Amino acid sequence: MSSRTNRDQSLKLIFRICIASILWLTLFAPLCLAGDETSILASTSDEIIQVAIANIPPEPSKLEETPEPISDPLEPVNRAFFKFNDKLYFWILKPLATGYEAVVPEGGRVGVRNFFSNLTTPIRLVNCLFQANFKGAGNETVRLLVNTAFGVAGFLDVAKNELNIEKSEEDFGQTLGSWGIGSGIYIDWPIFGPSSLRDTAGFVGDLFLDPRTYIFNRPIFYVLRPYEIVNDTSLTIGEYEDFKESAVDPYIALKDAYHQYRQNKIRQR
Amino acid sequence: MNVSNLVKGMLVLFSVLGITASALGGAPTDKIRQTTDKILSILADPSLKNPSKVEERRRLIRKAVDERFNWEEMARRSLARHWVPRTDEERREFVRLFADLLERTYMSKVEGYSGEKVLYEGEKADGEYATVNVKIVTKKNVDIPVVYRLKKGGDDWLVYDISIEGVSLVNNYRTQFNSIITQSSYENLIKKLKEKGAQK
Repeated sequence: MSSRTNRDQSLKLIFRICIASILWLTLFAPLCLAGDETSILASTSDEIIQVAIANIPPEPSKLEETPEPISDPLEPVNRAFFKFNDKLYFWILKPLATGYEAVVPEGGRVGVRNFFSNLTTPIRLVNCLFQANFKGAGNETVRLLVNTAFGVAGFLDVAKNELNIEKSEEDFGQTLGSWGIGSGIYIDWPIFGPSSLRDTAGFVGDLFLDPRTYIFNRPIFYVLRPYEIVNDTSLTIGEYEDFKESAVDPYIALKDAYHQYRQNKIRQR
Repeated sequence: MNVSNLVKGMLVLFSVLGITASALGGAPTDKIRQTTDKILSILADPSLKNPSKVEERRRLIRKAVDERFNWEEMARRSLARHWVPRTDEERREFVRLFADLLERTYMSKVEGYSGEKVLYEGEKADGEYATVNVKIVTKKNVDIPVVYRLKKGGDDWLVYDISIEGVSLVNNYRTQFNSIITQSSYENLIKKLKEKGAQK
């Protein structure tokens, strides 16, 4: 009986998320489009940069890419959340991940990361299909079958190591981007980190394809998800520190890196 | 099939392979490869592994990097429209501070090197400009795509930008520098760069 009510509650929750995301999209879609298409209106300084760059001799080559910067009307709020996430990393996440790293050997931690990645195959597979990327969809299907059957339920990435089949990192944010939807404004969410309006909608959309959503109302979710985050962090300790070290204004550097990274992913597909 | 035909066939095959190999790695790729190999050999040199040789080793790596990077071009592109009103002396100071920042960042990455593989994945050329695609495979089995952007200077090709996972360093610094200068001033940017240098 109780599992029945749990399921009802999960469905209700998903329904609520669905309604909320539709509201989001309709409310903010104009902003989304404005962000990329008409940002010259929003900030004349960007236009000046483009003109100035074009005027610098010698002429830029075809191999150059100078993306429009992402618009950031929420900068004061975003900066506060950036600080919050920074403290969260140094005070909580990093100490936990460092302790965990000392106990579990690297091979095991990579295995755990592979396992969760195998679990979220539906997200990548369906988004490949949304983008008519049939090769990617095929690869994801083969990877799921091979790694589940021969890779100890996904702990080993046999498909990549033995068959050279690479993962297709697709998500709904990229799908929306490939359909011509601009990134919209920049949002640095507490805990979740850098995102954009479009990618936030994408994140919500992907929840439906994420098997982890369907254990949302069970206590195990509240153990599993943080564990996954600590495991992932243990494999990337030092990267955020290096990144901050190289930046003059880490907030702006992260915002721009996120934007460039996502634009590149959308272009690549 | 007699032996002489077999030998002929092999000769043709080898010459074809030879041509493809040289077509795959043109001058820009060769330059990147030379510099990468030079740095890797400095890192592997047992006589430089002694802690007392840290400074010597850094000096050698710095020299190898300096030979391949066009710091002025990089600095100019990063400052973009704010480069124009600078005096010659300001420009020289800025190039020095910017190169210092990049070399310090680069140094910590290089010194942390632990047997990652570097794969060369082709190049594109467009007159004076070229891009060289490289894939770095880490020990944690993660592939990092890197693109070097080079510009021809005489007989040499010099790097003026690096993209890692699609994030161009020059574009990233340009956004930061523009934000700092427009929200405060060029002098404030210089102050921040100097503070960065003093931290180490």
